[in-house]
Amino acid sequence: MIEVRGLTKRYGEVLAVDDLTFAVRPGEVTGFLEPNGAGKSTTLRMILGLDAPSSGTATVGGMPFTAHPAPLRAVGALLDPGAVLSSRTAFHHLLALAAGNGIPRSRVDETLTEVGLEKVARRRAGTYSLGMRQRLGIAAALLGRPPVLVFDEPLNGLDPEGIVWIRSLMRNMAAEGRAVLMSSHLMSEMELTADHLIVIGRGKLIADTTMKDFIEAHSEREVLVRSPQTQALRRLLSEATGVRAEDHDTLVVTGLETVRIGGLAAAAGVELHELSPRQVSLERAFMDLTKDAVEYHAGEETSR
Amino acid sequence: MTHVRGIRGIRGTRDVRGALSARPTRRPAGDARATPWHSLHAEWIKIRTMRSTLFVVLGTPAFCAGLAALNGSSAGTDYADMSAADQATFDPLAISLRGYLLVQIALGLLGGLVITSEYGARTIVPTLTSVPHRVRVLASKAVVLVGVALPVGILVSLVGFLVGQAALSGAGAPHLALSDGAALRGIFGGGVYLALAGLFGLALGTIIRSTTATVTTLFGVMLIVQAFAPALPGGLGDWVSKYWPPIAGGQIITAVQDPELLSPGAGLGVMAGCVLVLMAAAFVVFRKRDA
Repeated sequence: MIEVRGLTKRYGEVLAVDDLTFAVRPGEVTGFLEPNGAGKSTTLRMILGLDAPSSGTATVGGMPFTAHPAPLRAVGALLDPGAVLSSRTAFHHLLALAAGNGIPRSRVDETLTEVGLEKVARRRAGTYSLGMRQRLGIAAALLGRPPVLVFDEPLNGLDPEGIVWIRSLMRNMAAEGRAVLMSSHLMSEMELTADHLIVIGRGKLIADTTMKDFIEAHSEREVLVRSPQTQALRRLLSEATGVRAEDHDTLVVTGLETVRIGGLAAAAGVELHELSPRQVSLERAFMDLTKDAVEYHAGEETSR
Repeated sequence: MTHVRGIRGIRGTRDVRGALSARPTRRPAGDARATPWHSLHAEWIKIRTMRSTLFVVLGTPAFCAGLAALNGSSAGTDYADMSAADQATFDPLAISLRGYLLVQIALGLLGGLVITSEYGARTIVPTLTSVPHRVRVLASKAVVLVGVALPVGILVSLVGFLVGQAALSGAGAPHLALSDGAALRGIFGGGVYLALAGLFGLALGTIIRSTTATVTTLFGVMLIVQAFAPALPGGLGDWVSKYWPPIAGGQIITAVQDPELLSPGAGLGVMAGCVLVLMAAAFVVFRKRDA
């Protein structure tokens, strides 16, 4: 469990993180979203004791990260997949990290197998592809089998297969009862992975909600209706909050369920060729939610 | 590479699902508490898997042997033609140990790289999330660095001494045996000086963080100032020649004293004091600064 209270980081005039309070609970994947800006990474760095907060506290399992007797057994972190000396082998990179916490060599081999790098472990990390480096970074996070995992933009630059792998890894870790915090600037990456969402913009908390509530609150459902008799159909749908034509034979209806539309059409003898519910994308909802907090809009002056 | 990644990916997915869910939260074997000893072990693994370490350990003794042979034979040949005054200050010890001038740069650079490589490759993040106790991290780095630099420094001095004295003897010039008092002081003192040069580099690297800037500073402090000291105006030039730490520390390899300069012991003390102050500053900066 990670608890952040009133966490603030100021760089001169700029508040990168502004009075953040939230919790990351065990058994869940918590998505940490920010459309742009440095607040996410700075927050994660403060949780891990890399940067000192200007004010506020962050604790992991009830105490500051740096106070843990064996930190790798408390929190596993992947902040920067490129963070490996290119002339060192993956094995020695992990061996040194493990040694610092008294984690045995056998666990290093085991972790390398878990992430699928066992055959290339004796190769210099400089020869690794981005996907392989990402796996190495994940291996470092898993070394101590920690109850809390922190991943900063873990899907960045990965191929589709790597994305599926990391997603299922995070889901499995949460299913085992671990607390998983994963940052991203893309809502689409969260949709399939996160149970809980923390959204910040310009370093301020904008939303702290379950994924389910977020979807219900922010994604309006629409129904797509295709019929050769759109004129007749329009007259039947007076209860709908919105009806617009998408094509000559297609209407998009909001505020009415498929069952009701189908019933009205059947009662009036209107022929239907298609009747399907559609969701407004969460990406759209996320952009609407954070648009005030986005520092740089496309096609505008960069003033606030 | 792509096809390798593809194959691993499929295996990896299966492994993670199977292996991890089979053993949910079992703790790895071993002590639960991380100790300074663990941190020392981690830094030892890191320094021995840095390529620069290998180059320094293999390269510097060979370099010193070669230089001592050349210096010894050329100085030995010149000896017969020297004036009586020059013959009186002929220093066979210093001639054979002169290689320290470049080895100090190599070891200073190794010391710098121990920390600047972490900033360069950003491994400082995993290092500090493994061992967040920063004083422990830097102290461990200092200890393993001395563990490499001191033996290398002594070896380099010993090799230089033996080869250099053999060359002087071959040329019929005065030379020393290991049993002469100044010999062991020069060899072990030279080793200590070179270990201090390594720590000097570590302290600079910790404060500066950039490898390039650390190398430049090392060259400036250890060679350029030394070369230009005679060109500095009167009082300042005298002060620098006497007290500039690398120059003062270098007196440890001399058997014939220049009355204008510090004695070998006092000179090494000045260098040690300088390294102590810099290391203290490095600890303060490393502890306070955002990683």
